[in-house]
Amino acid sequence: MNNRNKKNKVLTIAYLFPTALILLVFIIAPIIYTFYLSFFNWNLIAPTKDFVGLENYLSIFTDPVNRKIILNTVFYILLLLVLNFLVPYFISIIVKFFISKMQTAYKIIFFIPSLFSLVVGAMLFSWIMNPVSGPVAFFMRNLGLTLPNWTNSGAMAVVVICLITNWKVFGYNFVLLLTGLGSVPQNIIDATKMDSIPKWRMIWDIVFPLNKSIAFYVLILTIVQGLQYVFTPISVITQGGPYYGSSNALYHTYLNAFVLYKTGNASALAIVTFVIFLVLLYLEIKFVEGRTSRYE
Amino acid sequence: MKGERADMNKLKESGWHFLLIVICLVLLLPVLFMISNSFKTLQDSYHSMLQLIPTHPTFSNYLTLDKQINLFRIVWNTFFMATIVTLGKIITGLLAAYAFKYFSFKGKKFFYFAFISTIFVPFTVVMIPNFLVIFKLNLLNTALGVALPQLCDATGIMLFLKAMDKIPNSLIESVRIDDIPSYKILKDIVVPILRPNIISIGAIFFINSWNEYVWPTLILKDKNSFTLPLALQNYISSEGGTNFPLAMALSTIMIIVPLLIYLIFQRYILNSISSSGLK
Repeated sequence: MNNRNKKNKVLTIAYLFPTALILLVFIIAPIIYTFYLSFFNWNLIAPTKDFVGLENYLSIFTDPVNRKIILNTVFYILLLLVLNFLVPYFISIIVKFFISKMQTAYKIIFFIPSLFSLVVGAMLFSWIMNPVSGPVAFFMRNLGLTLPNWTNSGAMAVVVICLITNWKVFGYNFVLLLTGLGSVPQNIIDATKMDSIPKWRMIWDIVFPLNKSIAFYVLILTIVQGLQYVFTPISVITQGGPYYGSSNALYHTYLNAFVLYKTGNASALAIVTFVIFLVLLYLEIKFVEGRTSRYE
Repeated sequence: MKGERADMNKLKESGWHFLLIVICLVLLLPVLFMISNSFKTLQDSYHSMLQLIPTHPTFSNYLTLDKQINLFRIVWNTFFMATIVTLGKIITGLLAAYAFKYFSFKGKKFFYFAFISTIFVPFTVVMIPNFLVIFKLNLLNTALGVALPQLCDATGIMLFLKAMDKIPNSLIESVRIDDIPSYKILKDIVVPILRPNIISIGAIFFINSWNEYVWPTLILKDKNSFTLPLALQNYISSEGGTNFPLAMALSTIMIIVPLLIYLIFQRYILNSISSSGLK
C-alpha cells in the first residue's frame, strides 16, 4: 500500500511537471522579474540597471502621457463592456426567449468572425472606414457628406478599434451567454407563462439572478481579454496615435519596452495592469463561487 | 381575441428575426466583400467595390502576392508553429487534467487555482522576461521561440477536466485496482473516450495559434520567419495607402484554414466553447 502511495506521488509529479515547468519559467518567474525591473531604469541591452525606487510607479500618476493612457484605458473598458458584453447579452436573450426557431443557425453564423485573426479584422475595418476609398465614405459622398479621417482623432479611433474587437468577440460571448441562459430550468419559465407574467419581468426577476455567475464570468473576460484584444488593431492601424490618443495601458507598455526601450516604465505599467486584473480575478471568485472550489 | 394575440406575437417575432439577420449580414458581409474584392483589379475594387460578383474576375492579386512574398514559406511557418503549440497544449493539458482528476495530493487546490489564475495574467507582464529568455536561447526568428512559452494552457486543462467528468469513476477505479499503469489508462481508456473533446479543443488551440499576432511580432523579425498575420500586417499601411485587393487576397488565404476546420468540427467546437463558461 505504502509502495503504491509512493508510486502515485511520483506519477503525480511526472504528470504535472510539464505544465508546472512552463508555468514557472514563462509566467511565474517573468512576473517576479518584471516586478524587479519596475524598480530600475534600464534599456533592455545595457549591462547595468539604475535603481530608482518607486519613481517608475509615481510617473504613472504624474506624467501627463501616462495619465492620458489611464483615461484611455478606462474609456476602452467602458466601450468594451457595452459592445462586447451588453450587446451580446441582449441578443442572447432575444434568441433564447423571443424567437422560436433558427436559434442554432444564428449561433453558428454569429460565431464565424471569431475564427478570424484580428489583423484581418483590422484590415477589413480600415477598408470599410477608409475616408477616401471605403464603402462608408462612398455612401456618405452620395449623400453629400464626408467621412472624417478618424485616425486623426483619438476618440474616434478608439471607437473603431473597439468595433473591430466587437466583430470578432460578439459571437463568442453570445455563445457563452446563450449557454448560460440555457441552464435556466424550463419548468420555471413555463410556470411564468402559465401565470401570464410579462416576459421582461420573468427575465429581470428570474433569468438575470439565475444567470448571474456566467454573465459575470463573461463580463470579467470582456475586460481582461478585450484590453489584450484591442492591442492588435491599435498596433496595425494607429500605433497608439494620434499623440497617444488611441493607446491604452497594454499598448503603452509594449511601446515603452520595445520601441522606446524604457524597460522600467514598461514594467511598472505592466505590474499595475496585473494588479487590476488580479482584483478582477478576486471578484470573479467571489461572485462566481464554485468555479474554483471544485477541489476543496 | 386569441388569434389576434398570436398574430401580434408572430409579427413581433418577425421583427426580432429581421434584427438578427441584419446582425448576420453586418458580421459576414465584410468577409464576403473581402473575398470578392480579392478577385478584382485595383480599379474595379474601387469603382465597383460593392459588387459581390466581380465583372472581370482575376487571379492577378494572388499572383502578385506570390511574387512579392514567399507565400508557401509563410503558410508553412504558420502551420508548423500552430501545430507545435496545439500538440504541446493537448499533451500537457491531458497530463495535468489526469493528475487533478485521478490523483490525490497535497496542495491540489492551490495548484489548480494557480493554473487557472494564469488566464488573468496580461501578456505585458511576462513579455519582457520571456523575450529575453527566447533571445538568450537563440530562438529569435524561429517557430519554437514563439511556441515554447505557450506549450500549456489553463483553459485547456479546465476543458479536459470537464470532459473527464463524463468517464465513469467506477471504470477508472476498476482498472486501477488491477494495477494497470496510469499512462496506459490514459492512453487506452481516457484518450479514446475523450477523442471528440480532444479534437475540438485542439481545433480551438490551432485556430487561435494560427491567428496569433502579438507575441510573434516580438519574436519573428526576419521576413522568412513570418507567419500569416505578420505578413498581412505589412500590407496594411497606417497612412491609408493600402492596396486593398492585395491585402484582401492574403486575408482570404489566411481565413481558409480556420473556416475549413469550423466547417468540419462546428458542433464540437461550439460545444467546447459553451462548456468553457459553465461551472
